[in-house]
Amino acid sequence: MATPEPAPASTPFTFPSTYNFPPFFTPQPNSNTRQAQLEKWSSLIQSWCKHHRQYKLSLVEAIDTPLFHNATLRKRLDLREARAVIDWMAKSEAEGGGGRRAEWIDAASTGNQVAWIWWRRPEEWADIVGDWVDGTGQRGAVLTVYELLEGDATVSQEFHGMDAEAMRKALNVLVKRGKAQVFGEEGQEGVKFF
Amino acid sequence: MTACAPKTGAPIFPATVSTIQQYPTHEIMSRRGVGLGAFANRTQATQSYATHGANLRSTHLASLQTQLSVFQSLLHTFALEHSSTIKSNPTFRAEFARMCNTIGVDPLAASNIKGKNGRRGLGEGGSFWTQILGGDMNDFYFEVAVRVVELCRETRSENGGLIGVEECRKQVGRGKAIGSGLEVSADDVLRAVRSLEPLGSGFSIVNVGSKQYIRSIPKELNTDQATVLDVIQMLGFVSVSMLRLNLNWEKARAQTVIDDLVADGLVWVDAQGPEKEYWSPQNLLNDT
Repeated sequence: MATPEPAPASTPFTFPSTYNFPPFFTPQPNSNTRQAQLEKWSSLIQSWCKHHRQYKLSLVEAIDTPLFHNATLRKRLDLREARAVIDWMAKSEAEGGGGRRAEWIDAASTGNQVAWIWWRRPEEWADIVGDWVDGTGQRGAVLTVYELLEGDATVSQEFHGMDAEAMRKALNVLVKRGKAQVFGEEGQEGVKFF
Repeated sequence: MTACAPKTGAPIFPATVSTIQQYPTHEIMSRRGVGLGAFANRTQATQSYATHGANLRSTHLASLQTQLSVFQSLLHTFALEHSSTIKSNPTFRAEFARMCNTIGVDPLAASNIKGKNGRRGLGEGGSFWTQILGGDMNDFYFEVAVRVVELCRETRSENGGLIGVEECRKQVGRGKAIGSGLEVSADDVLRAVRSLEPLGSGFSIVNVGSKQYIRSIPKELNTDQATVLDVIQMLGFVSVSMLRLNLNWEKARAQTVIDDLVADGLVWVDAQGPEKEYWSPQNLLNDT
């Protein structure tokens, strides 16, 4: 993981009832059922990552975590299946996928092992940051990305402490919308909001 | 006086007058069938029975009509008095609906009339029920029906269009938006589904074993499929060998039924055990 997040371990993750349904871990032969199954997996993975404030998921690491391995039922989603789920999540809804809720990171070098899990799409993060900027009257202000992520001013914000790379993607969305400008070299970027 | 006077109606036979003292009254009565006069007498008796019967009937009818109108006005008062409870308390509503059903009044059917001659002005065009409950009764059921339809459509891919009435009730009662919780009973759900029938929507109630389901895909379950679903209901899941053992089915028969159920999306497969197990997705609902 890029940022070793202190996981909010105070509240254990509550699995949906699907998680205790043994066939959930077997790819369903019926295509309609399969669709429903993939949707359920997608929402489980998203809420798992959200709960653990995790932005990237490494399949090899995750495959033995409770997310993919239900020890009580002694059922598990194998690596190939997990990959199929992420593949489906990465497709847009128009392609019959899960609405780009995942994105493989550098497929060539990692070999489809690590993926962004967009429990909020970069566009959604951009909206949140944009709203915060508007709400606190900081249009025209210049902030460093570090301030955005770790500064005292953003402690109450959902994006506080988020993955720097994910934040950069969100800021890029704002740049494309003409609402921000990013400058400086990597690791020390500043951002100006319009 | 050789025959009795037909108009008096009291059959007294002259032939027996002299012997009256010798016989107790019932003896005389028992002998009235004797003689020619008996024929006329019998017609007359039939007639008087008929008129008497008609009289009785009309008095009955009158009293029944009075009873009914009294009852209706009582029901009216009752419904008015308790209309808020009827709307808010599912148990009470179910009992009220049951009571209406018993006397042959269907709140839904009655309130449907509103559609025909309604809009002409509140109060006059509406049916008995819309007058009492201000149309809220059918609005309530339609609201439930809309939610049932939504739920069925949303979950169709996961349960193949078969959803338990109880599961549906829980889900509908919960509502999606904040504050949209609606206390409903299974009876309300059943009524709501029935209210969809005139639309030809293909929604129907299916009994599998002791459990009621809403079928939102107009496809019949055959006996074998229903049996297997019933077994799953009891045991949690089935496998081909379980069906062979418990129902004495040939392997091919068991496999075919299961394959059909899978093809219809009515069961999910778990292939991670020693033998494939087939589960019903009915419990999946509560996490969406």
